Amino acid sequence: MSRVLESAARPSSPQFEANVAAHEALAADLRARLARVASGGGEQAQRRLRERGKLSVRERIDRLCDPHTAFLELSPLAAEGLYDDAMPGAGIVTGVARVCGRHIVVVANDATVKGGSYAPMTVKKHLRAQEVALANRLPCVYLVDSGGAFLPLQDEVFPDRDHFGRIFYNQAQLSKAAIAQIAAVMGSCTAGGAYVPAMSDETVIVREQGTIFLAGPPLVKAATGEIVTAEELGGGDVHTRLSGVADHLAQDDKHAIELVRSIVATLPPAVEPPWAVAPAQPPAVNPDELYGVVPPDVRSAYDVREVIARIVDASRFHEFKERYGETLVCGFARIHGHPVGILANNGVLFSQSALKGAHFIELCDRRVVPLVFLQNVSGFMVGRDYEQGGIAKDGAKLVTAVSCARVPKFTVIIGGSFGAGNYGMCGRAFDPRFLWMWPNARISVMGGEQAAVVLSTIRADQLDARGEQWPAAERAAFEQQLRDQYEREGHPYHATARLWDDGIIDPLQTRDVLGLGLAAAANAPLAEVGYGVFRM
Amino acid sequence: MFERVLIANRGEIVIRIARTLRRLDCSPATVYARQDGPERHTRACDVAVEIGSYLDADEIVGAARRAGADALHPGYGFLAERAELARACEAAGLTWIGPPPDVLDLMGDKSAAKQAAQNAGLPIVPGLHRAGLPDSEIVQFAQTAGLPLLIKAAGGGGGKGMRVVRTLDELESALAGARREARAAFGDDSLLLERYISPARHIELQVLADSHGAVLDLGERECSLQRRHQKVIEEAPAPGIDPALRTRLGEEAVALARSCGYVGAGTVEFIAQAQAPDEHYFLEMNTRLQVEHAVTEAVLGIDLVEWQLRIAAGERLELEAPVASGHAVEARICAEDPAHGFLPASGWLRALALPSGAGVRVDAGVAQGDLVSPRYDPMIAKVVVHAPTREAALARLRGALEDTVLLGLSSNVGFLCDLLDDEGVLAGQVDTELVERVAATRQPADASHAAIVTLIAEGLDGRAAHGRSDPFAQLDGWRISGDSGLTRRRVTVDGHRELELALGPLDAQPTRALVDDVELAVALSAVEQRDGFRRLALSFDGLSEAWSVVSDADGWWAGHLGRAWHIAASDRERSAEREAGGELRAPMPGSVVAVHAREGALVARGDLILVMESMKMELQITAPLDGTIVLLRVRAGDHVALGTVLASVAATSSEEDGV
Repeated sequence: MSRVLESAARPSSPQFEANVAAHEALAADLRARLARVASGGGEQAQRRLRERGKLSVRERIDRLCDPHTAFLELSPLAAEGLYDDAMPGAGIVTGVARVCGRHIVVVANDATVKGGSYAPMTVKKHLRAQEVALANRLPCVYLVDSGGAFLPLQDEVFPDRDHFGRIFYNQAQLSKAAIAQIAAVMGSCTAGGAYVPAMSDETVIVREQGTIFLAGPPLVKAATGEIVTAEELGGGDVHTRLSGVADHLAQDDKHAIELVRSIVATLPPAVEPPWAVAPAQPPAVNPDELYGVVPPDVRSAYDVREVIARIVDASRFHEFKERYGETLVCGFARIHGHPVGILANNGVLFSQSALKGAHFIELCDRRVVPLVFLQNVSGFMVGRDYEQGGIAKDGAKLVTAVSCARVPKFTVIIGGSFGAGNYGMCGRAFDPRFLWMWPNARISVMGGEQAAVVLSTIRADQLDARGEQWPAAERAAFEQQLRDQYEREGHPYHATARLWDDGIIDPLQTRDVLGLGLAAAANAPLAEVGYGVFRM
Repeated sequence: MFERVLIANRGEIVIRIARTLRRLDCSPATVYARQDGPERHTRACDVAVEIGSYLDADEIVGAARRAGADALHPGYGFLAERAELARACEAAGLTWIGPPPDVLDLMGDKSAAKQAAQNAGLPIVPGLHRAGLPDSEIVQFAQTAGLPLLIKAAGGGGGKGMRVVRTLDELESALAGARREARAAFGDDSLLLERYISPARHIELQVLADSHGAVLDLGERECSLQRRHQKVIEEAPAPGIDPALRTRLGEEAVALARSCGYVGAGTVEFIAQAQAPDEHYFLEMNTRLQVEHAVTEAVLGIDLVEWQLRIAAGERLELEAPVASGHAVEARICAEDPAHGFLPASGWLRALALPSGAGVRVDAGVAQGDLVSPRYDPMIAKVVVHAPTREAALARLRGALEDTVLLGLSSNVGFLCDLLDDEGVLAGQVDTELVERVAATRQPADASHAAIVTLIAEGLDGRAAHGRSDPFAQLDGWRISGDSGLTRRRVTVDGHRELELALGPLDAQPTRALVDDVELAVALSAVEQRDGFRRLALSFDGLSEAWSVVSDADGWWAGHLGRAWHIAASDRERSAEREAGGELRAPMPGSVVAVHAREGALVARGDLILVMESMKMELQITAPLDGTIVLLRVRAGDHVALGTVLASVAATSSEEDGV
């Protein structure tokens, strides 16, 4: 029976207050990191940009968006802690925006960060945005202002399949799939970068600011001795009047954005959503209490319905198989009016939980209900009884269902994401349309403690077999080192820096990012239902 | 009386006449032009007949017969004062609701009309209208009749050779200059001259005459508030006219009507010295119902159309000269651009709400959703108010205009409000140049609130697009950083001024707005969806305002207290053209067939400059922007290569925009 969830939260309890304090600290850390990234290459670089009459990458995006709308930025903390921490956001801003009533993907270089050049994570972020465009059938707008590949790391950005060239391959494939490719050249667009506008369906260039050429003036002079200015070589006038590389000449950044909006307005309307969308209703249970009901330590158990109640419309939940496989809570709800089937961990996965999850995914898939995974899982249950009970094949059923469901999937890692639990709960490898992490989350093949014990036991056994001794102090240091490594590598900022997710979110944003993601996903028609073999 | 009357007109006057006909149990019929289709006025009538042109008398009489009409009311404009239509009616056995054709002929001939007026004892502007006047005679006239004087070329118009002389010292050189210009322009240096009345007032008298010789004076109307020689505000009675002058004007008008055998409703127009209206002269007689007849109806409490019908049916005027009560003022709401010389505007009426209430009469021929066509008079509606005093009437009119919502095209409503604020208008000290003076000094109204309103409206529109909610539109300014994203735009106001806007999310009450770096606190308190447009209640820095807003193909219209602004995304291509000037190059190799403009001429964007022929195609070369033709170096017959500069248009600078 569909019912309104009730909360057992006790807002004045010490535990609640401790939880709030811990989450507030995590959220403040997140905001500080995002604020640093928002200033791109720093105040001085921003000032130089303004002096040249250019707008910052974020103002360009603000102007592109329809009035009073959201911009769902993806992986804002990409490259966090990488490249000497000198490439905030990997020098590129990507996300989903609403432009002229259409949802579109924006890919915008930040010229204040190393001239907008492409480090490995820049390439990965750009390719991820194109993947989002393809999966959700969203037109792409490229606001180009980039010097091309980051030359010091050329072997990590140039030759491989998912390197720089893939951007242009994707543009061709997206265009072929009737997903519009629109570019505005608002700065340099040199060498390989020249192909972004050239591969686009329709291109705008800003006069006396945007340039497109395969080789810039210094290289031309070196190659042929010809002395030519950048504007003569590949400026807006040349490309809109003589070469035809660009289609519209903009007078300045603002005009370029207006031209892009005007182009987007010519696109055919998006298809009707595959599912019925109801008017959105806010949760009935106070969503602001979310911090207080979630212990920040992933090892502390709590009822995940406390989270569900605070993110779904009217806190209304139609729970499925409530009395069976209780460690996986499954049920139907709506988020921002979109129907969802929620799978949320409430403890370790047993065979029953996995079977229940697979069954529920099939239900949602048949009923055209998008799936939301709230991941907080230490893994599948271990032990002789469970192996004999065939937990591996039951886990495989869940993984098969997750892999093959054709409805859009969304994953939020709200706690631990360990081992095969990550797979069964739709980790990054299972192509959720979007995947977000909370700042308190941890992700690794197993917990740091388990890894330390497992590896030190193996090591101790090896030493023992050779008849050697392993002093307790050394063993403790060995284990501590592993625990430290797992804590570092399992930390969400380590993950988000490497694009294992689409961003770290404040837990209070969960409902909204899911709503935005669902709205974006509703642009793509669904495939037919179909599954592989379920091992019985 | 009549069974059916064909009203040979369109728009509000058809609807107004039909109203009287129905009250008198006559069936109204009308016509509509083929190219327009059955317009709104046809719905006010029982029968509507399609015609090719409103200017073809035979076709209109044919339409009256097809409609089964036994009488024809011409309304005003078109053929209303043309004897040919009156005669065609008579020949077809239809009753013509208007003066006899001979009177139409007489009054249609300006100099004959003047002669008739003089014969009837009316004062006419002193002057010498003989060809071949020597300078000496002109100087003598100046010394005796007084100054200022208007000298004009006998050969023609267009302002060539025209001079206003204000002192005797100027006279000699003015004469020489005028003769030189006249000779150059017309090959004849003959000059005419007359007293120049400036500043002048325009006062007119309404008369009613039956076919049995009775003539009634129905009082005067003050009609000095004009632009492009067309009235915009008229009132009755005229302010500052003493009873003796009022009586004299009435007697003169009646004398003229009687002397020429006038029948029906007519108007005798006078020009008067603004400061001393005792000095007044006959100008012309309008042999039809006037647009502004409603102010006379309001103060006298009569229906002039009813009397036109009765007189045409042969009835006697049973009316005693009625006593005027109170004060009536009419404002004409027109599709035009007061910021650009009152050039007519056209377009779709995307939102229209006309005022109503006690003492307010509105005659309109259009409704929301209609197209205001550039082919006809730009009047959209007239608002007539009646109140016990002039002061109360002006205040009532001001209020009625502020209640008017008119979005979708430029109109003069805001300008009319400004005009009603003018001290001269309030004091009753008006003259025919006052409107131009107000227009010249008028500053464009601040558009920042309008621009903010349109951004809000666009946001609201997005929330309900396709009839379902989109979290992208619901989550106003949502950003992953937790900060609120601003709505930022550069917009163009009324096609030429630019504004830079930044506006915070609407859920914040109030939210912060920046308009060209000026900060405002904006709060949205209510949204009401009207039929076809939206009403927003907002406050700006704590002051509440009610706005109407509607979108069009380019952007948005926002209206507040009668004023309206068009706000669109800035079009830098056009701005760049304005800066660069418009150079027109031959788009194809070919030959120039015709040149339709000359160097130095003022042109509006889209005006035809010349026609080329190339590859058996005719190419029209039109002005790329509003401005002056600074270069036109080709003539008809010239062969031109691809890319040859044909002409160049320099943009009207922004300082000139306000003129």
